[in-house]
Amino acid sequence: MNGLIVNKFMLLILTAFFCLSLIVIYLPILVMIVFSFNSGKYQTLPFREPTFEWYISLIADNSFINSFFTSLMMASLASIFATILGFLAAYAFSKAKVPAHALLFGIVVCPLVIPMILIGIGMRLQIVSIGIEPALWLVLLGQTLYVLPLAVINLKNRIDKIPKSMEEAAISLGSSRIKSIILILAPICAPSIFATLLLTFTFSFDEFVIAYFLTNFEVTLPIRIWTSLVTGFEPKINAVGTAVFIFSLTLGLIAQFILLFKQTDLDKNKA
Amino acid sequence: MGGSSNTINPWPFLLPALLLCILFFLIPTVNMVILSLTTENGIGLDNFKLFFSTPHLTQALYRSIILAISATIIGSLVAWPLAYFIVFCVNKKWRPLFLLAILAPFWTSFTIRAFSWQLVLSDNGVIAWFIELITGISVTLGILYTMNASIFGLALFCSMLTTFTLYGALVSIDTKLIEAASNLGAKPFNIFKDIIFPLGLPGWIAGIFLSFIVCVGDYAVPTLLGGGLKPVLAQIMLSILKGTYDLSQAATIAIILAMTVIMCGLPLIIYGMLRRKRVSV
Repeated sequence: MNGLIVNKFMLLILTAFFCLSLIVIYLPILVMIVFSFNSGKYQTLPFREPTFEWYISLIADNSFINSFFTSLMMASLASIFATILGFLAAYAFSKAKVPAHALLFGIVVCPLVIPMILIGIGMRLQIVSIGIEPALWLVLLGQTLYVLPLAVINLKNRIDKIPKSMEEAAISLGSSRIKSIILILAPICAPSIFATLLLTFTFSFDEFVIAYFLTNFEVTLPIRIWTSLVTGFEPKINAVGTAVFIFSLTLGLIAQFILLFKQTDLDKNKA
Repeated sequence: MGGSSNTINPWPFLLPALLLCILFFLIPTVNMVILSLTTENGIGLDNFKLFFSTPHLTQALYRSIILAISATIIGSLVAWPLAYFIVFCVNKKWRPLFLLAILAPFWTSFTIRAFSWQLVLSDNGVIAWFIELITGISVTLGILYTMNASIFGLALFCSMLTTFTLYGALVSIDTKLIEAASNLGAKPFNIFKDIIFPLGLPGWIAGIFLSFIVCVGDYAVPTLLGGGLKPVLAQIMLSILKGTYDLSQAATIAIILAMTVIMCGLPLIIYGMLRRKRVSV
């Protein structure tokens, strides 16, 4: 079928364009990785002797390590909260009769189509006006709110495809609603739930604005990196960037793989 | 629906998520609107009048809009050949992999990506070094810390996002339609114009909309690549909160930013509604 819509000449151009795009997308990341092994304080070519100096100084730097663990904790909790809340909400939107369905769905999904900076500034102004000090638990709630739409949309897509009859069967055999959700629905959705956990984790791990607005002193990794970038260059930033890139990429890729390939599996079953 | 015992009560499932959204999104938004309307002498539009009579602020708004529009347009144009290639030139089995190749950097920190472009674009960065290596002439690029660098950085992000949404639309086109058209003698260009483009349109529009939202509220790329001399609105908002702490002014700017998103999104939303109506008719 491919031959019907793309002739040889077009194919050549499209392939070239695709390869060129890949180069443009990956060039800066490659440069960063190369520089992370480059000795010498300044980010200029040509490449000097290779070194692990920046990685070693990174491990020795408590401020980076602490902020990494803060981010790890925030992202883990936010992704777990968002996935649980998202699963419950997705179930209601998919299987129950929700009054004002469109409006309520809109409210839950809205944070996705609002610039993040507005969510951050809104929460900051709110806590100031009711006299709460900025703190990490606010960041946690803010980030849960921010990744909730992703969880709801992902899980709703999955639950929509499960016939209601499965649950009905369990219930007519005497199971309770809660039991049927935990024992039947959740296991069927397990791959999607896992993917959603990873997806919301990566988004929350990299989230900057909400964390920036809602804390004063305890910093997450993106804030630590930002501070370093705007207040004068530290060569170990390349090492941090490389480490974060590989960390987020691994998680994101696993999530994306599950979502994309599970999707094709489902299509196969349908056909 | 079976008996009343079979109907599910949605509230226990919905309430936790809804509560979170109401407490941390709806109430703060309402509060922000109130703050922006509060002035020293009661309720009024003084804050907005002040905003639009301050050149420093209106210029920043103008820059935000131009930046977002330029980046969105470039990104949306780049997305077509990329998505088209992945969907129509790649074996079905390998499509997800090709898409992942484009999307992978998407999963890394926005800040780190913007920073990594500094290494490439700066006056002693990789491009300048490469040009000097080949031509032997030392050049001053002068790209970093300009509006163009910001547009470039955001356009890259937009093209990834739009490729993703467009891919979703193109991949679900029924290939029978294309085969039928071809059997009846349609040329590749006509197949594109009459089948692929109209069916890809919803995914394309969604990508454009989301791109614009991200770009208009971003401050990381404008700060790291565009520099601080000609700030966009988001940068000004940040500096107010960390500096002068004028809450009413910060709220006013936030509301204006939100209005910008809504106004630019409105034509797209109306288009979507008209389209849905036409399809259902």
